Amino acid sequence: MIDPILPAATTFATAAVRMASPLALAGLGEAYSERSGLLNIGLEAIMLSGAFCGFIVANLTQSINLGILAAIMGGLVISLIHAYLSVTCRADQTIAGLALNFFASGVTSYAFLMRFGKTTNLAKCPVTPILPIPFLSDIPFLGPVLFRQNAFVYAIFIAVAVSILIFSRTEWGTSLVAVGENPRAADSAGLDVGKVRYTAAAINGGLGGLAGAALTLGSLGFFMENVTSGRGYIALVVVILGRRAPIGVFLAALLLGAADALQFRVQTLGINIPSQVFIMFPYVATVAVLLFSFGKSLDPGALGQPFERGRR
Amino acid sequence: MRHIRKSFAGVVANDDVSLDVHAGEIHALLGENGAGKTTLMNILYGIYSADSGSIRWKGEDLGAHSPREAIQRGIGMVHQHFMMVPTLTASENITLGLKSDGHPFPNRARLDRSIREISRTYGLDVEPTAPVSTLSVGEQQRVEIMKLLYRKAEILVLDEPTAVLTPAEADRFFAVLGRLRKEGHAVILITHRIPEVLQVADRIAVLRDGAKVADLEARDAVPAELSRLMIGRELKEVARSPRGTAPSRPGEAPGLELESLVLADRGLEKLKGVSLRVGRGEILGIAGVDGNGQKELAECVLGLRRLASGSISFGGRRVERLSVAQRKRRGLAYVSDDRHRDGLVLEMDLAENLLLKDLAIRGFAKPGIIDMKRCRQAAETAIADYGIKTTGTSEPSRLLSGGNQQKLILARELASAPSFIVASQPTRGLDVGATQFVRERLLERRAAGAAVLLLSADLDEILALSDRIAVMHRGSLSKPIENAPGVDLTRIGLLMAGHAGVESA
Amino acid sequence: MKTLRVLVSYLLVAAIVILAAVLSITAVGSDVTKAFGGFLRGAFGSVYGMSEVLVRATPLLLAGLGVSIGFSSGFFNIGAEGQIYMGATAAAVVGLFLPGLPGPILLPLAILASLAAGGLWSAIPGFLKARLGLSEVINTIMFNYIAINIVGILVRTVLKDPNYPLPMSPELKDAMALPVLLEGTRLHAGFIVALAAAVLVLALMRKTPIGFAMRVVGLNPRAASVAGISVPASIIAASTLSGAFAGAAGAVEVAGIHHRLLEGISPGFGYLAIIVSLLGKNNPMGIIAASLGIALLQVGSMSMQRQAGVPTSISWIIMGMVVLFILARTTIFGFLLRGTTGSRA
Repeated sequence: MIDPILPAATTFATAAVRMASPLALAGLGEAYSERSGLLNIGLEAIMLSGAFCGFIVANLTQSINLGILAAIMGGLVISLIHAYLSVTCRADQTIAGLALNFFASGVTSYAFLMRFGKTTNLAKCPVTPILPIPFLSDIPFLGPVLFRQNAFVYAIFIAVAVSILIFSRTEWGTSLVAVGENPRAADSAGLDVGKVRYTAAAINGGLGGLAGAALTLGSLGFFMENVTSGRGYIALVVVILGRRAPIGVFLAALLLGAADALQFRVQTLGINIPSQVFIMFPYVATVAVLLFSFGKSLDPGALGQPFERGRR
Repeated sequence: MRHIRKSFAGVVANDDVSLDVHAGEIHALLGENGAGKTTLMNILYGIYSADSGSIRWKGEDLGAHSPREAIQRGIGMVHQHFMMVPTLTASENITLGLKSDGHPFPNRARLDRSIREISRTYGLDVEPTAPVSTLSVGEQQRVEIMKLLYRKAEILVLDEPTAVLTPAEADRFFAVLGRLRKEGHAVILITHRIPEVLQVADRIAVLRDGAKVADLEARDAVPAELSRLMIGRELKEVARSPRGTAPSRPGEAPGLELESLVLADRGLEKLKGVSLRVGRGEILGIAGVDGNGQKELAECVLGLRRLASGSISFGGRRVERLSVAQRKRRGLAYVSDDRHRDGLVLEMDLAENLLLKDLAIRGFAKPGIIDMKRCRQAAETAIADYGIKTTGTSEPSRLLSGGNQQKLILARELASAPSFIVASQPTRGLDVGATQFVRERLLERRAAGAAVLLLSADLDEILALSDRIAVMHRGSLSKPIENAPGVDLTRIGLLMAGHAGVESA
Repeated sequence: MKTLRVLVSYLLVAAIVILAAVLSITAVGSDVTKAFGGFLRGAFGSVYGMSEVLVRATPLLLAGLGVSIGFSSGFFNIGAEGQIYMGATAAAVVGLFLPGLPGPILLPLAILASLAAGGLWSAIPGFLKARLGLSEVINTIMFNYIAINIVGILVRTVLKDPNYPLPMSPELKDAMALPVLLEGTRLHAGFIVALAAAVLVLALMRKTPIGFAMRVVGLNPRAASVAGISVPASIIAASTLSGAFAGAAGAVEVAGIHHRLLEGISPGFGYLAIIVSLLGKNNPMGIIAASLGIALLQVGSMSMQRQAGVPTSISWIIMGMVVLFILARTTIFGFLLRGTTGSRA
């Protein structure tokens, strides 16, 4: 009885984890940003930028490592622009994020067409291989699911662990919370609010860019216009569901990855439920979570508000 | 501190003030609103710099400095509004911004231990691992004090610390002050409350209108004397503006009546059973230092706050269940103490600001077109009648001076010949001319039969305008007394400062 | 003098954006003059071109008006996209299930339905904000996706056209079609509806008590309460009205262009509407100009692609850059603008 179920469950779980990794990486980055008080709707732009930069460099140099580096850079550029607009220009963070989404969508499509033109022959880039960890990958079920994955999945494991450490045990982690909750108190305690926010934004960009690379370099092996197709917005959902905590974000991403994998499975089984039902799930879940948490505000006190010293 | 002088835009805040504070001493700075106490301390702390004068700290001259430098040198200040991050623990708040041992991985256990040490020494009873959001106001205040002690402050300045404490918490607080003194710290206590000062202080400096008028040992102080020093008026000096004949119509429907109002805000009782009656054609002046419940009282009458219990009546009809708009329709006018936040929409022009009251009465949700032409005409009339200096009805109201803004608000609120007026600090920040104008308008309305509730921290104003005077202290209202020539100012001063048992009406 | 400096700062923004456009064009290897020529010819060179600009401006104008109502009242309506979809659905449903009615009754009914659907869809986040204090930013984005997916489900199931394998509704009858204004073009009466809506919104916000109340709430909610305005009621009213106009945009696209309900009925109009509202400074006249401007950009860039091989995505780059630079304008050109905005530069 166990026999047919275990392999099926294993493949399913493995796929879920793989599909969750871009969401988890992007969500984790956004968690840093939101803790510091910066609400970055432009996560889609960060991921798209990372996906594209990673793809094009890997395509040109045939080196995955250089591609990953480029992806991180690409994400950084976008997130630092957002930080500049939010912290230094004190502009509206939501509009800045939306504008960046348009901008990144345009630039990546444009650059892609510029390099490759409209051919039917899809440009390819090398894909990260599966890296099984010796011994651990032979454990039944957990082995393949956790330890026979690509570098991006391992990256998220490391990132989550490091983040837990940073948030709970370092001074910077405490400063991050202070800056996002009550920047005036942080400022009067001597913290540089701007610097903390820029740093958080940089981490957001780096992780988000990596998330984009997880798409093109990690699974697809090609790029097309708007390849991220809304995953940046889903990552925002992941952050809320995960309450901006590293483990929470990872589990929420896993949940959505599982929903994604389930959707494919249902399609192959020929059951005629429109995939939209599954696609809707994360969004409905977010509204539900927001609804039930209205009693105590879980948002950092200063989320989305620019900080200006001396202003009431 | 020697011969400190400080002015803001021509208004003198500190006028040649000198102060000596020693270690192991609790020094009280006593005075009313606007006496210059907080300004003086802000200068010490480095938030402002003095125009002239000098500060010597531990034998060294202290030039212009920042608060951070002040803390480094051992000068600490706890302001009225706490600077806390609610989601962090007390320990994390206390050590915020400091590079502790083991940076960047602070040994939280060790930090907690040293915090508990300090807490024990001073009787602060602060639990380092408690999230600040779970702490009471009194406990939060002790965390603020901890912050200073952790940074090795030698002199602690506390600004109106008991304003947010219950009497029980206040007693605990005084015990802490005692410990601070015992450990050799110096404490400067900014307050307006005489009983406190007599209970804890060693020395008392009384400030009035920016100058220091007395400096004495606490044991030599007498409440009546302190009150007189704070208010500074001899009976003969009272300048009364002519109030005209009070139209007395006995038997007429009553004016504004408040019965046993109780209001609680975040666990603190802001109004403790306040009752009063203002007759038609009468001005009842409520004196008292800011922060004793006046704003809450005004907002309750307006309808912005929901009472825990009690009733409010306009002309004999109960209104406590009615909305703000409904009360305005019944003839209420409201002049807030905060012009910019409550009274005006700064980005809108004069005509539109006038519309705020007009539409409240006619209804915001009614269909139909606003007749802007009529509105502008009304604005022109108001500008003429009230002498508002402006370039026109389309000028954004934020460009008007404070006095003109207040005139605009008055024009709006009084236009509908209201029968019940609440005026809260109506002449704050205004020049002499504007102040006179505002007072005359209120007297005018009184002559026309309105019931006016005047709340002011300016005793001059209360004396000049009121028919009867009551004092608000810690959410309780004293029994109103007639404002006849020979009114007992000392008693009023004592009531304002919390002495002499406040009896509710 | 200071308005001159403000003007100069805007011109500098324009100059930077044009420079970026020129660089992008040359980077693709196209001829700049040919590209710009193609742009202008596409938008102004023919009657069809000019009519296309109006056609594309129509939904942007309607949705932009809706978003601006929200902005003026302090309600960030990021959900215009979803409201467009719901409005389109409502209109299509009316058209499909009441086929017997004549045009002059059917069309207004459909538009009313779309107003209700869009309004309701927006009122939910509005209610959540007014009564529970929940931020509308994330909520409205979520509702966008929920709406898009609802349409996706409907056109595959209940509303699916049985004759075609593609996910879309059956074609609506002629009675449901907005009359074409210009022979040989796609320009339909929806454009007139949009213009009428602009006038309506102008009157609403500037001349009615409720518009006034909403604007006060947007500028100073505290003063609004003190004045007797019910802030929660205003927020709900603002969100509803905002969504209604966006819903109308959906109806107009269904009745004027596609004549059926399908996925992708709005290729991002809702998000573009936010930019339209921003550029138009929440003023209906400005929004008309901004929607025409963006429509111009889109039509011109498509022509630029045909004539000079410049990818259409350049229009997204330009739009993004314009907004980004407008957000940064006062900071980047701070040296120029010192003292021009009252209290702070």
